[in-house]
Amino acid sequence: MIRRWGPWIALGIVVAVAVAVVLWPSGSPSSAARAHDLEAELKCPECQGLSVADSQAPTSRAIRTDIQRRIGRGQSDEQIRQAYVDRYGETILLTPQDSGVSLLVWILPVVVLAMGATGIIFALRRNRDEPRLHATAADERLVERELRDG
Amino acid sequence: MKHPARIVALAVALVVVVLGVVLALNVGSDPAADAKQSQLVGKAAPTFDIPNLAGGRVTLADVAGKSAIVNFWNTWCTPCQQEAPAIAQFYDRHKNDPDFTMIGIVRQDETDTVRAYVKKNGVSWTIALDPDNTAALDFATRGQPETYAISPSGVVAAAKYGPMSSGELEAFLAAARASG
Repeated sequence: MIRRWGPWIALGIVVAVAVAVVLWPSGSPSSAARAHDLEAELKCPECQGLSVADSQAPTSRAIRTDIQRRIGRGQSDEQIRQAYVDRYGETILLTPQDSGVSLLVWILPVVVLAMGATGIIFALRRNRDEPRLHATAADERLVERELRDG
Repeated sequence: MKHPARIVALAVALVVVVLGVVLALNVGSDPAADAKQSQLVGKAAPTFDIPNLAGGRVTLADVAGKSAIVNFWNTWCTPCQQEAPAIAQFYDRHKNDPDFTMIGIVRQDETDTVRAYVKKNGVSWTIALDPDNTAALDFATRGQPETYAISPSGVVAAAKYGPMSSGELEAFLAAARASG
């Protein structure tokens, strides 16, 4: 019994611990960590494909200062994010928003994956349910005759 | 569930149709163009309070009641050089209009270099400096040149990222005047 289920129980414990470690709340992040996370989400307005965090362009430096100022004033991450969307439009965000049309970017892969999995399940089930053919005595006689006569 | 394959096919078709409708509705928007589109048009112009080249200050209140052209520029950007003659001629045509004013806000440049440029080229409109990029950030500029038309009531009537032609400058002024 233990030999049979032991590995599965061990695997379950490992997965549960891993999920707990990943999802365990690590307390409220520091202001510097919040600022850096927001800087990494915003696109440098005058660069090609660089985040504000990675860019040394003057505008990016100004945005970094502004984000720190806003955090100091007690604004939430969402308020800060929205302030930049209001100024620059959604194109300022490197990660699509989870609302409006942008929601499709998040939902569509899950829907396609679910539909693909459903399709595979149905295909496997249909394959399993198909009646298996059994050779009758006449069939076996026919094969024997063919083998004998060459 | 008599025909599961048919149901899956229908679900796939439904998703494809929904996706097609969403794409069709959004096909008119070009992300690259949208990225250059100012979100400020039709909204109140950002307040600014920045130093001018003469040692004083320039604020949004200074342009209240006038149709204003605000141009972000600097001495080293090539597109700024391209639009410079059109800007100068435009200012000469309108500098005596009682309802008109123009401010050039310098981004990312040295004050002495700007002063020398202004003297050499006979720039006579107000030149302001934006050493901390605060005004550029409030206007959500994407670089330079970038030009805004502000109505007498303080609403952004038009905006463009890139060099301006003479015709575009006239259209901007007309838009500012029309916004009231």
